[in-house]
Amino acid sequence: MLLELKNIFKWVNSGGQRVFLLKDINLKVDEGDFISIMGPSGSGKSTLLNVMGMLDGFNEGEYNFLEQSVHTLKEKKRATLYKEYIGFVFQSYHLLDELTVQENLEMPLLYKKFKGSERKAMVADMLDRFNIVGKKDLFPAQLSGGQQQLVGVARALIANPKLILADEPTGNLNSNQSEEIMQLFQQLNKEGVTIIQVTHSEKNAQYGKRIIQLLDGRMV
Amino acid sequence: MIKLFFTIATRYLLKNKLYSFINIFGLAIGVASFILIMLYVDYERSYDKFEGSQHVYRVYMDYLEGNSFVPGDAQTYNLSGPTLKREFPGVLDYVRFYYIEKATFVLGDRIFEQPMGSMADASYFNVFGYPLLKGNHKTALSEPNTIVLSQTLAKKLFGDQNPMQKTVTVVLDGDEVVLTVTGLMKDIPKNVHFRNNYLISYATENTWDFFDEAQTKLNFNMNNYYTYLKIDENANIASLKDKIINSDFDEDEEERHNIEPIEDIHLYSDKPYEVSVNGSATRIKFLSAIAFIILILSWLNYINLSTTKSLERAKETGIRKVVGAHRWQLVLQSIMESTLLNTIAIMVGIIASFMLLPIYNSLTENKLEINLSSFTSLFPIFGFIFLGMFLAGLYPAFLLGDYKATKALKGEVRTSSKGVLIRKGLIVTQFLATIILIIGTMVVTKQIHFLQNQPIGAELNQIVALKGEIVTNKSDSLLSNDYKLLADELKDLPFVENITFAQTYPGDSFDNLGSSRGITLPNGVQNLSTVYYVYDVQPEYFELLDIPFVVGNTFLPNDSGDSNQIAVNETFVKEMGFNSPEELIGRKLKFWGNNEWVVTGVFKDYHHFGLKDKVLPLLVKHQRDVNNLLVKLDPTATSTAGFTTAIDQIQNKWNQIFTKSTFNYAFLDKKFEAHYKEDKTFGKAFQVFTVLAILIASLGLFGLSSYTCVQRRKEIGIRKVNGASITQILKLLNIDFIKWVGLAFIVAVPIAWYVMNKWLEGFAYKTAMSWWIFAFAGISALAVAILTVSWQSFQAAITNPVDALKDQ
Ligand SMILES: Nc1ncnc2c1ncn2[C@@H]1O[C@H](COP(=O)(O)OP(=O)(O)O)[C@@H](O)[C@H]1O
Ligand SMILES: [Mg+2]
Repeated sequence: MLLELKNIFKWVNSGGQRVFLLKDINLKVDEGDFISIMGPSGSGKSTLLNVMGMLDGFNEGEYNFLEQSVHTLKEKKRATLYKEYIGFVFQSYHLLDELTVQENLEMPLLYKKFKGSERKAMVADMLDRFNIVGKKDLFPAQLSGGQQQLVGVARALIANPKLILADEPTGNLNSNQSEEIMQLFQQLNKEGVTIIQVTHSEKNAQYGKRIIQLLDGRMV
Repeated sequence: MIKLFFTIATRYLLKNKLYSFINIFGLAIGVASFILIMLYVDYERSYDKFEGSQHVYRVYMDYLEGNSFVPGDAQTYNLSGPTLKREFPGVLDYVRFYYIEKATFVLGDRIFEQPMGSMADASYFNVFGYPLLKGNHKTALSEPNTIVLSQTLAKKLFGDQNPMQKTVTVVLDGDEVVLTVTGLMKDIPKNVHFRNNYLISYATENTWDFFDEAQTKLNFNMNNYYTYLKIDENANIASLKDKIINSDFDEDEEERHNIEPIEDIHLYSDKPYEVSVNGSATRIKFLSAIAFIILILSWLNYINLSTTKSLERAKETGIRKVVGAHRWQLVLQSIMESTLLNTIAIMVGIIASFMLLPIYNSLTENKLEINLSSFTSLFPIFGFIFLGMFLAGLYPAFLLGDYKATKALKGEVRTSSKGVLIRKGLIVTQFLATIILIIGTMVVTKQIHFLQNQPIGAELNQIVALKGEIVTNKSDSLLSNDYKLLADELKDLPFVENITFAQTYPGDSFDNLGSSRGITLPNGVQNLSTVYYVYDVQPEYFELLDIPFVVGNTFLPNDSGDSNQIAVNETFVKEMGFNSPEELIGRKLKFWGNNEWVVTGVFKDYHHFGLKDKVLPLLVKHQRDVNNLLVKLDPTATSTAGFTTAIDQIQNKWNQIFTKSTFNYAFLDKKFEAHYKEDKTFGKAFQVFTVLAILIASLGLFGLSSYTCVQRRKEIGIRKVNGASITQILKLLNIDFIKWVGLAFIVAVPIAWYVMNKWLEGFAYKTAMSWWIFAFAGISALAVAILTVSWQSFQAAITNPVDALKDQ
């Protein structure tokens, strides 16, 4: 098992009242899973993804990741866990505008103690694998949305994470580009990468092996 | 609409209290500093301005030193004025002053010392535009035995009575003269280099025993007179100066007459025998530069902060644009805001400068005041400040108008790379100025420390110089006996360690010191060009002051207490061309006519003129009857009772012997320190304004770093999501600032080195500009930068990236 959420509650205090963002979430994810999370806007999909990605905390419940209880881990340990196993893909790509494609890919490696030569090899490998060698010296603004998201996915993958968390990765893309990204996910999943994606599209959700529906922070 | 904008601006400033506060605070510091410094600068530049002052010149003597002439003496001969007037039609009139540093006034039973007065020609009121309140300005000083009093002195002497035609006795070195008051003048303002409290008619020289025949006879031998000329306003000054320089009335190749504008004396003249300690143009230039730097720093700061803020307000701007605001309306509104803010800042600055003036005065030992006239003279300054602030408000305003509405709405504003460059430039400039100021302060402080710790070559601690005017009918020799009696009595006091008589002492500078040229050396050589200085002492002088002899020893008087012995300093030996001091011992020096003195010793050089000037050739003569006492107090005996009680007891003895007299004392070490008092003051002012500049620069940096953090919010989020730690983010954010400080440092070092070198040139003895001064300045600027920046960077680094990366 890759991760397990047990009775997760998350709330914020607003005007003296508790506003629940997540309510009693229970979820087991095995290695090699491909999960699609669906639900109306504001139902807590991004929140859930962020909690699983350790970018956000929660108020109650247990979260175990690879047999380690995330909720009791020290910040540093959690950061290590995160760096080693998790990759994020965003709806608006979040590439650094000032960096070229190549440099954007290299960026996460800088924070993970890889040697210069290793980094070069890994970046070259990614460029190759995603067929964007020709674009390596371009800046994000010079790419189409689909191409940018391709780079986004490549960047999430570059340090070989076990888990890819994607928040509406195709939200800004046309159907052709979406199709391409989804097939890429399927391919990756076959290669053993666990994928959890948030999507609004019924069609894209079908790429997943499981679909989870959220409503008002609760799984239905 | 203007009213609406004004309301919005007010609300906005109130809402963003921290921003408004930092901005107003920074600008107000700049304005207040600028006003305070400019008050001082204005005051220093206001010296000697009166009706017609631009046509008044002072005559002074240049002396030949090597192959060129250097200013040698602020005083001239009693023939200088009359001769120049006779020879050059451009010279309309002259006035000569014989300066009396301190005279004793006797009126009935009252006796007191009055500093600063002169014997002056009747032409005084023609040359100097100071008005006469009572009396005829043409004739007030034309008769012998007449005196014109200042209001204060007249009041001191005669109270509210009309002083005219009253008589008063004035005593100088025991010689009395009875004077009739023929005029009442306004007190001479403080910003005048020659401040006379009274003027005695020049003709009184002939009736007053104080002056002897040699002195009063018209001559080119004794230069004891200050001479001022009134020059025809149509005269060509350059050619007149040229003619005066090249004339040789006194038939002496080694010297020449020269002239300088009276208005320049206070700031530009520092000659031997100045009538008062003058200011310094260098100091004024430095302070003006600091004033402008601080003001400009505060503007740069304002630009920085407001551009930062405009970025945060981009969304608001976007909305305004979408609803149809014109670009000019946005600009106008922004200018309204900046005008409002700047007006408040200027008000706060002005009020602050008024309130801080007493503190500033006590810190810098100035006596500046803000009155109506100084206020109006500050008008151009205010104008300048307002203009600067208006311009400073323009840049952010136009920047704001530039944002694209759609982007602004999405929060995706970023200024052009040019804009970023400008802001980086601003910060580099701020740090450049700051580093230069830090280096400057340190050099000034180090130099003053150096001066204070420089061996003087004499021990001045616990030594008191006693002086007073004795009103008595006793002959000089009887009076000297009284002095000796006093000396004996003082020796019996438990806390008196030693006692001697000396005409002057180290640190007394040119006061009470004779200057001379022309001497016949033991080897028969006649030296006519080297200026040397002479004073009289008694044998114990050297021991009392701990001035060691290189060879030989102090004087050995004969049985009657007389001798014709003399001691010289090492510089004298060198300048007169001797290879070793031994060559002079036991041999004769001949000067002042056919008078001969036997050299008994060569003493080590000590600093008679303070440490700003180099050591000059000194001759110290033995003299049986010198009436000025030097008393060395015992530190242990006085430490308990304190110096005041010691002085009280000394004064008691003094009054017992001299029943009708005045009493004066000065501690030698204090007097010596007074030489660099102005530099110390300057140093303090420098320190204060450097701290303020640092404060302003760090406010600016604070602004820019918050801007950077806002702008890089997204980037920081992305990097964190990709595994960057807090330290790594901090490093990323701070490295830029460190680079800028580094760049500023590289540019600052040579500038500071050059400028401070120039400043140090004003000192004969100067400290080294050690490398660590530069290192320290760089490191402290860096430390300030990192501390300022880190606070914001840290906030940015610890933000949860989720917040930064929320998709719309
Ligand atoms: N930090 C927060 N404070 C308050 N409310 C939040 C916070 N984060 C999310 N929310 C609210 O929680 C709800 C769920 O948000 P989100 O997970 O982004 O929904 P989804 O991704 O499903 O559209 C929304 O109503 C959002 O406004
Ligand atoms: Mg969402």
